[in-house]
Amino acid sequence: MNKFILKRALASLVSLLFLVVAVFFLSRLTGDPTDLYLPVDASLASREQFRKIHGLDQPLMVQFFNYVRDLAVLDFGESIRRARPALDVVLEAFKWTLQLALITLFLVTLAAIIFGSLAAFRVGGMFDRFATFFSLIGASAPDFWLAIVAIVVFSVGLGWVPTSGTGTMMHWILPVTILFIRPFGLILQVVRSSMITALSAAYIKTARAKGAKAKSIIFIHALRNALLPIITVIGDQAAGMLNGAVIVETIFGFPGVGKLMIDSILQRDFSVVLASIMVTAFVIFLMNILIDLLYAVLDPRIRY
Amino acid sequence: MKKFKSLLLLSAFSMAAISGGSAFAADTDITIVLSEELDLIEPCMASQSNIGRVVLQNISETLAVLNPENGELKPRLALSWQDMGNGKWRYKLRDGVKFSDGTTFDAKDVKHSLDRTLSEDIACELKARYFGGMELKADIVDDLTIDFTAVPAQPILPLLISALTIVPEETPIKFTREPIGTGPYVLSAWNVGQNIILDRRDDYWGAKPEVSKATYLFRSDAAVRAAMVQTGEADIVPQISEELATNAKTDFAYPNSETTYLRLDHFIEPLGDIRVRKALNMAVDREAFLGTLVPKEAIIATHMVPPSTLGWLKDLKPLAFDVKAAKALVDEARADGVNVDEEIILIGRTANFPHATEINEALTQMFNDVGLNVKLQMREVGEWIDFYSKPFAEDRGPRMVTAQHDNSRGDPVFSMVWKYSCDGGQSGLCDKELDGLISKASAAAGDERAALWGPVFKRVHEDLVADIFLFHMVGFTRVSERLNYTPSISTNSELPLEEISFK
Repeated sequence: MNKFILKRALASLVSLLFLVVAVFFLSRLTGDPTDLYLPVDASLASREQFRKIHGLDQPLMVQFFNYVRDLAVLDFGESIRRARPALDVVLEAFKWTLQLALITLFLVTLAAIIFGSLAAFRVGGMFDRFATFFSLIGASAPDFWLAIVAIVVFSVGLGWVPTSGTGTMMHWILPVTILFIRPFGLILQVVRSSMITALSAAYIKTARAKGAKAKSIIFIHALRNALLPIITVIGDQAAGMLNGAVIVETIFGFPGVGKLMIDSILQRDFSVVLASIMVTAFVIFLMNILIDLLYAVLDPRIRY
Repeated sequence: MKKFKSLLLLSAFSMAAISGGSAFAADTDITIVLSEELDLIEPCMASQSNIGRVVLQNISETLAVLNPENGELKPRLALSWQDMGNGKWRYKLRDGVKFSDGTTFDAKDVKHSLDRTLSEDIACELKARYFGGMELKADIVDDLTIDFTAVPAQPILPLLISALTIVPEETPIKFTREPIGTGPYVLSAWNVGQNIILDRRDDYWGAKPEVSKATYLFRSDAAVRAAMVQTGEADIVPQISEELATNAKTDFAYPNSETTYLRLDHFIEPLGDIRVRKALNMAVDREAFLGTLVPKEAIIATHMVPPSTLGWLKDLKPLAFDVKAAKALVDEARADGVNVDEEIILIGRTANFPHATEINEALTQMFNDVGLNVKLQMREVGEWIDFYSKPFAEDRGPRMVTAQHDNSRGDPVFSMVWKYSCDGGQSGLCDKELDGLISKASAAAGDERAALWGPVFKRVHEDLVADIFLFHMVGFTRVSERLNYTPSISTNSELPLEEISFK
């Protein structure tokens, strides 16, 4: 097990290093941050001073060497725009993204497993048809449209929830709901098809013949065997959410890492771009290890 | 079932864990929604719109305040100022003023504020915007008297100094996250990503404002910002789009001090020919834009600066829209050997102002309708600025650049030197006569100064037909019906809470 984790860690480290090199040089191709930070009529002297303060006057390879040297001691550099350590800026935003992703994933997983399993139990029944219909609508409706419509209806029209922000529990209802819809549709379909396969297995027929209750057949006997593909899809969805839900964050004023990353790219705040990518890559790496370990827990045939 | 209930409970707890109780809000508390979160709350960066809206005259004050209506300076932390000659101005400071940290305001703070702003160690925007191209220093005469000296002498030094935000002398020369000022409000909380809260000070030297507390929120979606006033979650939204400004009771248009124009490159044929420049101006149906792609409240421009600027000439008229006459001018230039068929590139900047792409597309069509060969290229700001600012590429072809210029400081010097002198960083021409006029006007003061800017505007617009002026733009603000607040030209750069009262 330890050997497996070490091997995965080394492989991820190589990927991470490649990512750092690629993002460092690609982000520099977008241009000089000076153009965006100073007024368009700033003098050449002001521009040169700005470049000097932020080390942008150095040759690109020197900038890269300095960056890697600092990174070796976990110094991710300073945000030009915010005049603070880039890592602090990213971790502050990531905290929100992580909360949003965990809450949404928890609710999505719970709901998709319950509704997907029940739909699979009576294939073609009313419940199955409704679940399929609504999950397809959810998976295909655009987030930004749903978000705006939800604000217009539930905030402006009915006044049930605030339009945006993070202040109270009520503020989380709309963003979590909007973020919930798409992965719910997708995971529900995977649960349904995986459960249909599991429920047609011989051991389920045996369980039925022995008079086991429907709840026990679905959630104890079949579900455990159907979980592997479900976990793979949940992991994939989680990776997407951990990278930030840009549209939901933008519309609902949620200070997450997705919006931070986009803003930083547009503002050429290179240190923040690199720090965001590394933090999310690191967390996704951890999550992948966790999923691999979960496979082994769920399926005794898998051993590392 | 038990497990299911436990899961639901866990879910509820996790939601509760992330929630916080809503604080009690007084009737005199207000909420303002800005378009983006502030990166800094730094007084020397207060020339950036959203930072200015929080900081200027709320947390940090200036020595004087510009009245945008008449261009006059009103004393604030300074009681008076006097021209001592040779570029030196003496300021008498207000006595009895305290910073929010309890320290007393005096000349040492003013000197430190200037030194800090001009320091080589931090890139303050105030320096880049207002104090470039001069040597400026402050000398303390006594606790409440200070001299500012500029080399070369700046006749508008008091106007420039009015942009300087005052911080205590203890403020380090690096960007601060906890600004201390003499203003009527103190920064009491900055919850990064969520809000900024200012509370009214009890020990403020001036009149007590009605607003007791201001909470600033950040939403990048204009529709959401606008909806927040509708739902009662917010009281003021300084920027909404024209399409959303549909409620006459809450939505106000105001001149935002921005002027849109096309900068023409006189150094390259055919734009060096005045007939072609006239034809381009006559090709633009400005009236057709109003109420369609440009808000109907915008004003057709004949100057680079808005009408409230010193020396503005109301008699200047745009060249009338006349396709036939414009075509005749193009043909005349062609007959004289000017290569009017050369492809002219129109460089637009994406999202420079509302409908920027559509406006540039319409302009391109209008120019081609009079027989010119214009092609549009929309560029991101980083690329666009390379076309707009010098040094220009040596091997460039003829180019026009669509731009928007902001002058809310009331004096043309902030625009005309940079945009029209031979050495101007964004000047598309070099005219010695115009240079002389600009130098003369820049060096003058008082009524003479106002009179001397007139010939500069006339030379640019009528004699040289230097550029294609389009519109003095407007912005839209949504204000809750419970407030008395009318946005003005300065709303683009500041939002003094003391100007807000309750109905």
